[in-house]
Amino acid sequence: MSEDFSDNKTIQAQSSETISGGGSGITPDMDYVRPAEVGEQDLYHGHSFITKWIFCQDAKVIGVQYFLLATFTGIIGLILSWLMRLQLGFPELVPFMTAEHYYQFVTMHGMIMVVYFLTALFLGGFGNYLIPLMVGARDMVFPYLNMVSFWSFFVAVGVLLASFFVPGGPTGSGWTLYPPQAILEGTPGSGWGIMLMCISLILFVAGFTMGGLNYLITVLQARTRGMTLMRMPLTVWGIFTATVLAMLAFPALLVGALMMSLDNVLGTSFFMPTILKAGEVLEYGGGSPILFQHLFWFFGHPEVYIVELPAFGIISDLISVHARKNIFGYRMMVWAIVGIGALSFFVWAHHMYVSGMNPWFGFFFATTTLIIAVPTAMKVYNWILTLWRGNIRLNTVMLWCLGFIVTFVNGGITGIFLGNVSVDVPLSDTYFVIAHFHMVMGIAPLMVIMGAVYHWFPLVAGRFLDEKLGKWHFWLTFLGAYSIYFPMHYLGFIGVPRRYFEMYDSPYVTSAVGMNEFISLAAFIVGAAQFILIYNIIKTLKTGKPAGHNPWQACSLEWLTPTVPPEHGNWGDRLPTVHRWAYDYSVPGAKEDFITQTTPPSEVAHTKVEKT
Amino acid sequence: MSDFKIEGYELKPGFKGMAKDTGSDQTMFKGVHWGKAMMWIFLLSDTFIFSCFLISYMKGRGSTIIDWPNPSEVFGLHVFGVDVPLLLIAIMTFVLITSSGTMALAVKYGYEKNKKMCGWLILATAIGGLTFVGMQAFEWGKLIHEGVRPWENPFGAPQFGSFFFMITGFHGTHVSIGVIFLFIYAYKTFAGHYDEGKRGWFTTMKGDYVEIEILGLYWHFVDLVWVFIFAFFYLW
Amino acid sequence: MEKTKKQEQTSTHKIGIYLWIWGLLFVLSFFSYMVDWYQFQGVLRWSLILFFMFLKAGLIMAFFMHLYWERYALVNVLLWPMTAIACFIFLMVAEFEYTVFTRFFYFVVGG
Repeated sequence: MSEDFSDNKTIQAQSSETISGGGSGITPDMDYVRPAEVGEQDLYHGHSFITKWIFCQDAKVIGVQYFLLATFTGIIGLILSWLMRLQLGFPELVPFMTAEHYYQFVTMHGMIMVVYFLTALFLGGFGNYLIPLMVGARDMVFPYLNMVSFWSFFVAVGVLLASFFVPGGPTGSGWTLYPPQAILEGTPGSGWGIMLMCISLILFVAGFTMGGLNYLITVLQARTRGMTLMRMPLTVWGIFTATVLAMLAFPALLVGALMMSLDNVLGTSFFMPTILKAGEVLEYGGGSPILFQHLFWFFGHPEVYIVELPAFGIISDLISVHARKNIFGYRMMVWAIVGIGALSFFVWAHHMYVSGMNPWFGFFFATTTLIIAVPTAMKVYNWILTLWRGNIRLNTVMLWCLGFIVTFVNGGITGIFLGNVSVDVPLSDTYFVIAHFHMVMGIAPLMVIMGAVYHWFPLVAGRFLDEKLGKWHFWLTFLGAYSIYFPMHYLGFIGVPRRYFEMYDSPYVTSAVGMNEFISLAAFIVGAAQFILIYNIIKTLKTGKPAGHNPWQACSLEWLTPTVPPEHGNWGDRLPTVHRWAYDYSVPGAKEDFITQTTPPSEVAHTKVEKT
Repeated sequence: MSDFKIEGYELKPGFKGMAKDTGSDQTMFKGVHWGKAMMWIFLLSDTFIFSCFLISYMKGRGSTIIDWPNPSEVFGLHVFGVDVPLLLIAIMTFVLITSSGTMALAVKYGYEKNKKMCGWLILATAIGGLTFVGMQAFEWGKLIHEGVRPWENPFGAPQFGSFFFMITGFHGTHVSIGVIFLFIYAYKTFAGHYDEGKRGWFTTMKGDYVEIEILGLYWHFVDLVWVFIFAFFYLW
Repeated sequence: MEKTKKQEQTSTHKIGIYLWIWGLLFVLSFFSYMVDWYQFQGVLRWSLILFFMFLKAGLIMAFFMHLYWERYALVNVLLWPMTAIACFIFLMVAEFEYTVFTRFFYFVVGG
């Protein structure tokens, strides 16, 4: 396979401007790819430890930095969830766990997992590492800006974690940070905590904007010769669309955070209505709490898809590679990703059915919410049809993929319950909602991350992860996650409210106590199981089985670099030239069961390759 | 912009060209500099920020049951014994449009590689921006003197002060950042960085007059936002 | 994008077009100021304000920001996201009307 990138068969014909595809009959210019529009990118090569590994401008290093920092914050989120489960399963067992602490942990767990873990990991981590490699660029288009993006994220995480050590502790208003309670005395962290949260979010948004501009312009303007949008791997499509959503949705969060900071510090009343506190009228008045909810969810719902779309994209690639089949309905998959992305801006208020907004909105948003289920369901069908009669390798990566599909379908179906106003009203603010969103945007994307780590680790480190440990990791996580979240649906149906510190002597106690203990025990095991991966990485980093070139026999560009792991500049002397999509697996008539994207058509003229 | 050629690629006009460009390899925006594409996408994101501000303002103003002050009177000036409504705002608009025009011309001369004209026009733009910020400071001072605060307002609904200071403050911040960059770019133009392709301080990219156009996009955007603020905040 | 071989600008726009647009912007700003000066009210005020606003914004975007000369691929990408904003505006209008209705109903009328 090492000749693939040398591309010496390219015949420069003058007249044709067509991008060559597969087909029959060898003509002189069938391998022709029109010349580069843009000159070579000048890169800044680091020459000291600091410029190579810390303030580094190489997207791959930045990707790994993002990955590590996001994982670190994720582990903090995990520990917080352990503490919460400890309280819920075994109340009054932990001496320092007061109601205030519980709420602070809930808030920080939610915010960390959604924004600082999943978003940063998918877009910052996988986006940085994979986009330039998959589209055949030398690096991101603005490497310096990319570096600043990571360090803004670093500072944002620092500010967020600093809120544990300020007077009053971190904010305890729930990850949605709804005013007025978020900044009123009585809510934990109503002074410093919420302030630092807002600052941290603003820093995150600023840093993300710098990174996001990089991802978008790299995909749009820096693809290699022959790489059309419709030849990109779905991973890039997912990350790209998610980045578009982020660029347009984060502004609403920024504005909301800024206005709430002003309410908090200057005493403005953007979100604060007239409030009677212990018979005394506070100085606020005339503001609109529901405005914050609209702003927050105008960001918040696209945020769900910011996490979900990269997961969709990555899973499509993993399934295709490990089932040795082209992805079923590639174009449909692309349009589904774009469609979901576009629709996600028109569904936000389905999070607010019980908020007291204009009652007519329920009709509008239930309709759009159900419409968005259509492209999502199409994707699920296509994944299953890709597996259908595939040559499935049942390795760890594939297990994570299958786990994802099951979990996602499960979470998606409960989403249809919650998308309908009349069903949502009794279920909202119960554990049913917790079960739903953890299934659909907690566990499902996490499974994709795990699958992606097992899949791309050989590229990043040049060695395989241990399969046996991987299978233990998968089964513990998969079965454990179901043990946690499946009973929660039931808890929701019997009406156990979410965000309650303790049930005390409520009627729920008898039926829910045993279940809560069970869930907590499962949560401890699942959480602990994640450290298997960390152990696995540390173990195999030095002693794992060497992977060599293109260990999974994949078609896409990231495996075709001259060196593994790829070095700065990715492609050695010459950029690759792309002749086909990334999914030519098991093509009838081909020598091997995969044809890489760089294979010129004349080499495979006798096979039935797809025209792309 | 309009006339350029790409080797081995026929540029079709109109919607056919749009479909073809989108479906082609390498780039989607043909002939558009990376930095320019980035600025456009950034401005799109920034548009969403200002839209969220203005939508919040609309929601806040629409749902208050205390009377909103009449901006025509609040922002009026008393000159030579006559009350002129919105006088200061009118002058500010005038100044900002003037600076937008000089910027547009600077971009034009930049493309003609006319270093002197380009540099002076950027400097003129910067001075226009500085004047605008100065007048905004004067306006803030006047309102604060009259008792308007972010949290209260003697003329009516307290949200008036909140939204006024926040939105004009955010816009003013944009103008100020723009002014700083204008001065830097004026220096770089006069120093000939764009003629000799000198690399920037933080980037490996070589200097090019297209950077003037990128800065111009930002500056026109600031003007564009002012058009909306002028209409919605001062005239409504 | 370093030295772009295809990006040699073969022509720039005549100075006249910029001066024309510049002049028009002044005139339109003057007109929108006049809307306030003569204290038009109601629908007339609204439609005039919006008309002048969109005209000015359009002129700035089309000519000063060169969108008129850009290829449609870029224009297309920039304009579509505005539908999300339009939807947001539309729904927030409905929302503030409902809020103000409830406020009058409960605070002023008394339930």
